[in-house]
Amino acid sequence: MLRVEGLSKRFGGIVAAYGVNLEVHPGEILGVIGPNGAGKSTLLNLLSGLLRPDAGRIEFLGEEITQAPPEVRTWKGLGRAFQIVQPFPEMSVWENLMVGALYGKPGTGLKQAQRVVEEVIALTGLAPKAQTPAGELTLLEDKRLELARALATRPKLLLLDEVMAGLRPAEALEAVELIRRIRASGVTVVFIEHLMPVVQALADRVVVMDYGQVIALGHYDEVAANPRVREAYLGRAR
Amino acid sequence: MELLLQTLINGVLAAGIYALVASGLALAVGVVGIVNFAHGEFTMLGAFIAYLLFVGSGLDPLVSLGLAALVLFLVGSLTYYGLIRPVLGAPELNQMLLTFGLSVALQNLALLLFGANTRVVSPPYQGSTIHLLGLSFGVVPFASFVLSVVLLGGLYWFLGRTRLGLAVRAVAQNRLAPGLLGIEKERIYLLAFGLSAALAGVAGVMLSVILYASPTVGFAYTLKAFAIIVMAGLGNLGGVVPAAVALALAEALVSTYLPGGGGWVEAVFFLVIFATLTWRSWRAA
Amino acid sequence: MIAAAILLLALLLPSLPLGEWRAFLLDTAQFAFLTSALALAWDLLARSGQLSLAHGAFFGLGAYAAALSAPALGTLPALLAGGLVAALASFLLGLATLRLHGMYFAIATLAFSEVMRTLVLKAQFTGGSIGLPVQPAFSGAFPLGSYYLAVAVLALSAGVSLLLSRGRWHYAMAATRQGEAVARVLGVPVVRVKLLTFGLSAFLGGLVGGVYAMKTLFLSPYDAFGLGRAVEALVVPIFGGLYTTSGPLLGGLIIVGLETWLRLRIGEGYLVIYGLVLILAILFLPRGLVGLFRKGVGRA
Repeated sequence: MLRVEGLSKRFGGIVAAYGVNLEVHPGEILGVIGPNGAGKSTLLNLLSGLLRPDAGRIEFLGEEITQAPPEVRTWKGLGRAFQIVQPFPEMSVWENLMVGALYGKPGTGLKQAQRVVEEVIALTGLAPKAQTPAGELTLLEDKRLELARALATRPKLLLLDEVMAGLRPAEALEAVELIRRIRASGVTVVFIEHLMPVVQALADRVVVMDYGQVIALGHYDEVAANPRVREAYLGRAR
Repeated sequence: MELLLQTLINGVLAAGIYALVASGLALAVGVVGIVNFAHGEFTMLGAFIAYLLFVGSGLDPLVSLGLAALVLFLVGSLTYYGLIRPVLGAPELNQMLLTFGLSVALQNLALLLFGANTRVVSPPYQGSTIHLLGLSFGVVPFASFVLSVVLLGGLYWFLGRTRLGLAVRAVAQNRLAPGLLGIEKERIYLLAFGLSAALAGVAGVMLSVILYASPTVGFAYTLKAFAIIVMAGLGNLGGVVPAAVALALAEALVSTYLPGGGGWVEAVFFLVIFATLTWRSWRAA
Repeated sequence: MIAAAILLLALLLPSLPLGEWRAFLLDTAQFAFLTSALALAWDLLARSGQLSLAHGAFFGLGAYAAALSAPALGTLPALLAGGLVAALASFLLGLATLRLHGMYFAIATLAFSEVMRTLVLKAQFTGGSIGLPVQPAFSGAFPLGSYYLAVAVLALSAGVSLLLSRGRWHYAMAATRQGEAVARVLGVPVVRVKLLTFGLSAFLGGLVGGVYAMKTLFLSPYDAFGLGRAVEALVVPIFGGLYTTSGPLLGGLIIVGLETWLRLRIGEGYLVIYGLVLILAILFLPRGLVGLFRKGVGRA
C-alpha cells in the first residue's frame, strides 16, 4: 500500500532519517517505536509531505508521491493526525471537522460533507461537544478531535503521531478500541507510540527506529527480543 | 576613483546613524520580543527635542543629545508600561498593530503641533567641512559617525561586561530564563525598551542637524532599521553594524551612480527589505 | 441586515431633502463608501491570515490604471482594467510572499507599496510627482455618476464579503488563517486559497481606487499610494470587527465621519484619529464594534 525506499533527511549536521525502507500492507496496523529523537516524527512528516526528503522515494497505492505537497497526499487518501493537537481555535468542533470533510476529497459538496461529519462525530463520541469552540476542549476531547478531523478526510491510510500521549490508562484503553474500530472500517493505520502496552495490544507489526534508521521490523514479541532493540532502549543513557 | 572613494566615505558615515537606530530596534525585538513600528517616531521626537531646545534656548545639539536620550528613555518606559505590557501575552499581530497605531498617532500629533515643514538645527559649525587627502567631508556627519561608534561601543560594553547587561542578554536568549523572577524580568524589559527608545532619540538629534526634523522623518528609519535587523538576522545584535554599513553603502552608491539618483534611494532600500524577507523565507523551507 | 440598511440608505441619500448641506454630505458619504469598500477588500485578505499593508498600492494602481485607460476605454471598462492591474500585481506579490507570515508579511507588503509609489513617481506617463488629471466618470454626463459608482463598488465588496463568509470558502480561509500546516494536511489547497483571496482583494481595492480617481479628478502618487490608504484599510475593519461584513461597513462610516469632523476642526494631523482608534481598539475592543453586540464566539 505504502512503499518507502531509501528515505533520508538531514537538518544541518543531524541525520533525522537515513535510508529508511518500509512497506505498509493494506489493512494492517503498523506501530513505530524508538527512543526520543530516533526520527519517528520526522518519518511521519516526510510521509505526510510537511518535509521533503533529501533522498529516497515514497510510493502510495502504486503512485510516486515523493515530491507531492501535503494536500495532494491527503486527496489520494493519506491522512494524518498530529502529536501536538492543533485545532482551529476560533472554530467549533463541527466546523473543524467540516474543513477536513470538505477538502479531504476534492469535489465534496456541503451536504455530503455534513453527512461525513455526522458519521465521524458519532464514531469518536464528540457529538455532545459539536458546537463547543475548539479552543475550550479538554485534552482528551482535543485528541479525539484531532483523530476525528483526520478521519473526516476519509483516508485509506492514517498516520497517527502519539495520539495517546498524556491520556490516563482508562482513556488510552478507549483510544485503543477506537483505533481498532477505525481499522475495522477498512482504514490502514501507522502509529507512533511510546506506551509499550498500547503497541503490544494494537500493532500487527512493529518498526523500531534509532538514529534515523530502521533497526528492527516484525511482530511485537520478535522485536522486543531483538538485542539491538534492547540496547537502543536500555543499553545506553540518553 | 575619487568619486567612488567619496561615495564610499559618505556611505560609511551615514551607516553610523543607521546602526544606532537599528541597534535600538534590535534591542526591543531581541529582548522584549516586540517589533516596534513606532521606533522611527522616537527618532522623530529626538529630532524635535533638539530643534526646540536649539530655537528656544540656543542649546547646542551636543548638549541636547543627553537630554533627548533622557526624555526618550522616559517616553520609552511609559510606552512600555502603558501600551506594550498589556499586550505582551497577546498575539504577535496585535502587538504589531498596536505599535503601528502608536506610530500613526505620534506622526500626526507632531503634524498637528508643528506642521509639515522641515526644520533644521543649524549650529555655527553646521556647514564646515574637513579636507583630508583630497577628500572632503562635513564636520557634522563625521562627528555624528564618531559619536555613534562611541555610543555603540558603550552599548556593547554594557551588554557584554556589566552584570545588568548580561541579565539583559540572558532574557533575550530565553524569555523564561530560569532563576529570573518575574519582577526582575519586568525591569529588564523596561530597561531594554527605554534604552531602545533612547538610542532612537539620540539618532534623531543627529538627524536634526544633518537632515532636518519633520513629523515624517522617522518612519523611513523604522523601515530602514527593520531592513538592517532582518539582514543581520533577527535578535542578532552583533550583525547590526555590518548590515548597517552594507545598506548605507548601497544607498550611497545608488544616489551617486544611478541617473536621476536621489529619488530611487528609497526604492532601493525597500527592494532590499522585500528581497531579503522573501529570499529568506524561500531558503528556509 | 446592517449591510442592507446601509446600502439602501446610500441609494436613497441623494433624493433626501438635505438642504444646503447636500453637496458636502454626498461628498463625505461617497468617501466613506469608498473607505468601507477598501476596508472590506482588506478584510477579505485578512480572513486568509494575510495582514496586508499593500492596499494603498492596489488602490493606487487601480486609480492610475483606470485614469490612464478611461479616455480610450470608457468609464466602466477602465474601472475593470484598474481592478485587473491591481489583481495582477497582487498575484506577483502573493507568489513572492507565500511563505511569509505575520509581521514579515506585513512589512514585505509595505516595502512593495513603497517601491510601487517610487515607480509611479519616476515614470513619465503617470505625470510623475506633478500628478495626473482625470476625466470625470461617464465624461461628466451624470452629475451623480461617481456617487453611484461608489455605491456600486461598496455593494459589490459587501456582496463578495458576505458570500465568502459562508460555505466552502469560509472554511478554507478560516482554516488557512488559524493553522496553515494543519489546513494543508486536511487537504485545503492553501496556496490557491491565499493567491485567490489576494487577487480578489486587490481587484476590489483597484476598483475602489478607480472610482476614487473619477471622483477627485486628480491623482498624485503621494495621495493615491499613500501609507494613509493602507492604514485606513486596516484600521476600519479592526475597529468595526474583523472577518465580518457589517464591521468594516459600520466602521468605515463612523471613522470617516470622525475624520471629517476632525479635519474641519484641526486641519492637518487629523489622521491622528486612525492611530488612536487603532490603539484603543486593540487594547479595549478585541472583537471590534460588532463584537460588542454578539455573544459567544464570533464567526470563525
